[in-house]
Amino acid sequence: MENKLREIRERVLAELSEARGTSKLEQIRVSVLGKKGELTGLLRGMGQLAPEERPRMGQLVNDVRRAIEEELEKKGAELKEIEKNARLEAEAVDVTLPGPERSAGSMHPMNIALNRMVEIFTGMGYEVVEGPEVEYDHYNFELLNIPKNHPARDAQDTFYINENTVLRTHTSPVQARIMTTRKPPIRVICPGRVYRADEADATHSPVFHQMEGLVIDENITMADLKGTLDEFARQMYGEGISTRFRPSFFPFTEPSAEVDLTCANCHGAGCRMCKGTGWIEVLGAGMVNPHVLEMCGIDPKKYSGFAFGFGVERVALLRYNIPNLRYLYENDLRFLTQYR
Amino acid sequence: MKVPMKWLRDYVDIHMTAAEYADKMISTGTAVEGLDKTGEQFDKVVVGCVVSCVDHPNSDHLHLCMVDVGGEEPIQIVCGAPNVHAGMRVAAALDGAHLPGGVKIKKSKMRGEVSNGMLCSGPELDVPAGLYPHIGDAGIIEIFEDVAPGTDVKEVFGLGDDVVDFEILANRPDCLSVWGLARESSAVLNEHFVMPEIAVEENGKGRFEDYATVRVLDHEACPRYCARVITNVKIGPSPKWMREYLYGAGVRPINNIVDITNFVMLETGHPMHAFDLSRVKEQTIVVRKARPGEKLVTLDGKEHILDETMLVIADNENATGLAGIMGGEESEIENDTASVLFECAAFERANNRVTARKLGVRTEASGRFEKGVCPATAMEALERACMLVNMLECGDVVPGCFDDYPHPAEGKTIEASVARICRLNGVEVDGDTMEDILNRLYIDTERVGDTLTCEIPAFRQDMDSEADIAEEVLRMYGYEHIPSTLMFAKTMPGRKSPTFAFNNRVKSALVGQGMYEILNYSFISPKWIDNLGLDADDPRRNCVVLRNPLGEDTSVMRTSMAPSMLATIASNLNRGNAAGRLFELSKTFAPAADEGELPAEHQTLTIGLFGPGEDFYSVKNAVVWLLAGFGVTAEIAKGGDNYYHPGRKAVLTVNGARIAQLGEIHPDVAEKFDIDSRVYLAEVDVDALRPLEADFNGVKPLPKFPAVTRDVALVVDEKVEVGAMMRTIQASGGKTLESVKFFDIYRGDKLGAGKKSVAYALTFRAGDRTLTDEEINGSMAKILKAVESAHGAELR
Repeated sequence: MENKLREIRERVLAELSEARGTSKLEQIRVSVLGKKGELTGLLRGMGQLAPEERPRMGQLVNDVRRAIEEELEKKGAELKEIEKNARLEAEAVDVTLPGPERSAGSMHPMNIALNRMVEIFTGMGYEVVEGPEVEYDHYNFELLNIPKNHPARDAQDTFYINENTVLRTHTSPVQARIMTTRKPPIRVICPGRVYRADEADATHSPVFHQMEGLVIDENITMADLKGTLDEFARQMYGEGISTRFRPSFFPFTEPSAEVDLTCANCHGAGCRMCKGTGWIEVLGAGMVNPHVLEMCGIDPKKYSGFAFGFGVERVALLRYNIPNLRYLYENDLRFLTQYR
Repeated sequence: MKVPMKWLRDYVDIHMTAAEYADKMISTGTAVEGLDKTGEQFDKVVVGCVVSCVDHPNSDHLHLCMVDVGGEEPIQIVCGAPNVHAGMRVAAALDGAHLPGGVKIKKSKMRGEVSNGMLCSGPELDVPAGLYPHIGDAGIIEIFEDVAPGTDVKEVFGLGDDVVDFEILANRPDCLSVWGLARESSAVLNEHFVMPEIAVEENGKGRFEDYATVRVLDHEACPRYCARVITNVKIGPSPKWMREYLYGAGVRPINNIVDITNFVMLETGHPMHAFDLSRVKEQTIVVRKARPGEKLVTLDGKEHILDETMLVIADNENATGLAGIMGGEESEIENDTASVLFECAAFERANNRVTARKLGVRTEASGRFEKGVCPATAMEALERACMLVNMLECGDVVPGCFDDYPHPAEGKTIEASVARICRLNGVEVDGDTMEDILNRLYIDTERVGDTLTCEIPAFRQDMDSEADIAEEVLRMYGYEHIPSTLMFAKTMPGRKSPTFAFNNRVKSALVGQGMYEILNYSFISPKWIDNLGLDADDPRRNCVVLRNPLGEDTSVMRTSMAPSMLATIASNLNRGNAAGRLFELSKTFAPAADEGELPAEHQTLTIGLFGPGEDFYSVKNAVVWLLAGFGVTAEIAKGGDNYYHPGRKAVLTVNGARIAQLGEIHPDVAEKFDIDSRVYLAEVDVDALRPLEADFNGVKPLPKFPAVTRDVALVVDEKVEVGAMMRTIQASGGKTLESVKFFDIYRGDKLGAGKKSVAYALTFRAGDRTLTDEEINGSMAKILKAVESAHGAELR
């Protein structure tokens, strides 16, 4: 029996070392340690041994069994690792194969720019307010110091609905609405659609967007206006971009300014985009005309304020290097899908 | 306004180039649109002397000319003009010359003979007869001045001067004149502005009253009317310097009298009119309002029917001209005109503007009157014209004049505070500097301590407050001195309006679904609304209409955004974009019941899906997911507008209120928008959705007990809706039915025709115990019974 045990031990250990695959291991385990396995059979035959032999033989059988089990486990782990590696290798994919197509989606570039502008100004404590797009002449013009039959109306070709109603030509009427209904301090921005009777071309659109800003408080100065717009320019276009003010005329501000920004393309060195000047005309601004304050029920002796009005499309055109304003209203997916 | 630099330099010293000058003007608030030179339309054209002229051997009309162009040898030029002859001085375009219209002159052969250039006519150089009187109708220009061959013809014609094109803004009508700009320039450059001394030699016979009668009946519309009579008029060309100035300013020289009126208008800003006095009936001029229905033919030959608000120039009976806008045909200056009445008046700007608009006539004069012409200087302008008559010796100025100016404009005085100006501008400027700046601008200013007392001259109609003074100070001191500060003020809560914030969230959700935002015009063609095939009484047929649209295609405010979306999809398909997911969130407009009220503006969302992979369910999901993001679950039922596919459209309601409709677009409607593939639209009422957003106020605890899932396949008639059965299951499943999910639909021969099998996964769970099989079986039995009685469903 001892010989038999030795023989089993040597044979099985040899078999195990040769085994290629976990299924072979299982087969060996069953044939030796299974219910009908060789070693199990030997153990069962112990009853026939002399009682004094039994402890020693039991011990021997168990030794053999432990040795086989240990080897089984060791070999098993080894083979599993090999099999796993083989599987992982077989499962490799072509990483350059494109996945299923999915449309990415994006907001319109005008709104991407507008949202950025709104973020910058809300960050400076401005509140977004809105107003109607079909507006009374009273708010669109008269409260802004542009009486009926005044030549300043020529600067804005207006769509009329009737004698007293227009498609707003700017977002400034929202200012007038705010000033007539709120008390200072006022700090608002008014984004929205505006309309001018201009034929569409590379720089004009009969429908476009503006963002108006209005601040009314005590001791507000033109320098504060410049500081505010400089801060905007830095946040929108990057460090090193600032503003240049040129005197101009708007009926609702006094003093008024056309505001240029450092050309973001050449950083002021002069290029084709800025026609060599280093500056790009972006918006109009100024100190709110005391007449306007008065008409809206705000005491011009106590309060002063500034207002500015951006053309949002213009900001977007400059920000994203869009060559033609018409692109924005053609809604061609080949254009829209470029934004993110 | 175009002004030749030479003309400006007559009145103010400008010691710099035109470009440097333009920069100075821009930086102080006078916008410049561009810098030009007169005669830029051609180059390399010189005075030539035709030495010999013989017939071309191979042509019956061409000539071979030997032309001395200042070189060592005369050159041969072939010329076809009938008036060319030996000994003539001509304008010769040399090899390499550029002529108007993109013409380039090259040495070439014409019918076998070499031609080294071209002899030019007036039109070929775009030089009008008025500028150079020897430009005739027939043939090439003959130059009579004794100038050396080879001289640039621009010198002969008086071309080559710098011209500044100013853009004068509405607040500065005084700068719509050479004098006004010279005055402004003198302030900017700190130079003297020297006005010519106005002195008229009244060398005519008799007095004004002997020749003409003027009556002004409406002083409100005509605050001032001045007139003078010129006799012994000799019509002829005006002198070269005047023609050059006019041409440079963009005005065509005509004859001395007309040129004087134009010259004075440009120089002083006062539009003038010259009447042929002999053709004015009874030599009487009446300034009055038109009679209703009164007719008038203006000198452009157009007939106008007038109303009682319009100011006219009339004789004793009939209107002969539109005051300040356009004269009549009858009294136009002709070559035989012998006596002239000069009118220099001020017409009220609003009245002038309204009349010009109503009649659709806009002229240089009307443009100036509506911007505002200062009545105070009208007489000065008239005297300037008479002075020029003296100078040009083209007539005799009759002693005496007519001047009706009952209410002379009063000067204004503005008091301003140095400290307040500094505070408003945010720039420290001392009182002395302010005083100096204002005085330079002809605003007589005296300062006592902090107070500036400013006498505003009549021509500065724009100035009436301290802020105006602040602006004058700042623009002359220099905007570049404005520091950059952030305001020292109360902290304010920056925030978005609820609508703006909500719209942005809607847009983000849709972007997350792979959609692209589009922007369309708010006004559309009424045809587009028709294309939708709405019922005759549908409110969307009632649009806000633009009174002055750019065209029919953009003439009504949209009541529905569906047409714009369909047009966008069509144009994308046209451009080869075969698939797309689009949305637009904007406003629709509905007219108010009362005309005096503003239209209702409604935030509306339109989704448009097209291309492979899109179907009814993708557009349905788009909306369902969007709503889910706001915690809103809608009832979905068949229905919707007729422009959707009758079997593939649905309306979504919440608490009975409709918030959206969606579906496949009806092929007939798609065709009307030139779309021949399937497109899917959804329209969501964003204003209705916004208040429905469920307040998210906390999570539910995670379940402690396990769930049991039972799948069930139910065979029903084809017409039974999956959603209806689902609602029955939910209603009958009891408290422990946690969720019902549809997962499959099967049709096959085994089920029989007109039948389908619908599979649902039912999940049961109780919050306080593990459910037993018996409990679940009980629930299932109830559910099966309910679906059987409600829908005839059988367990498969």
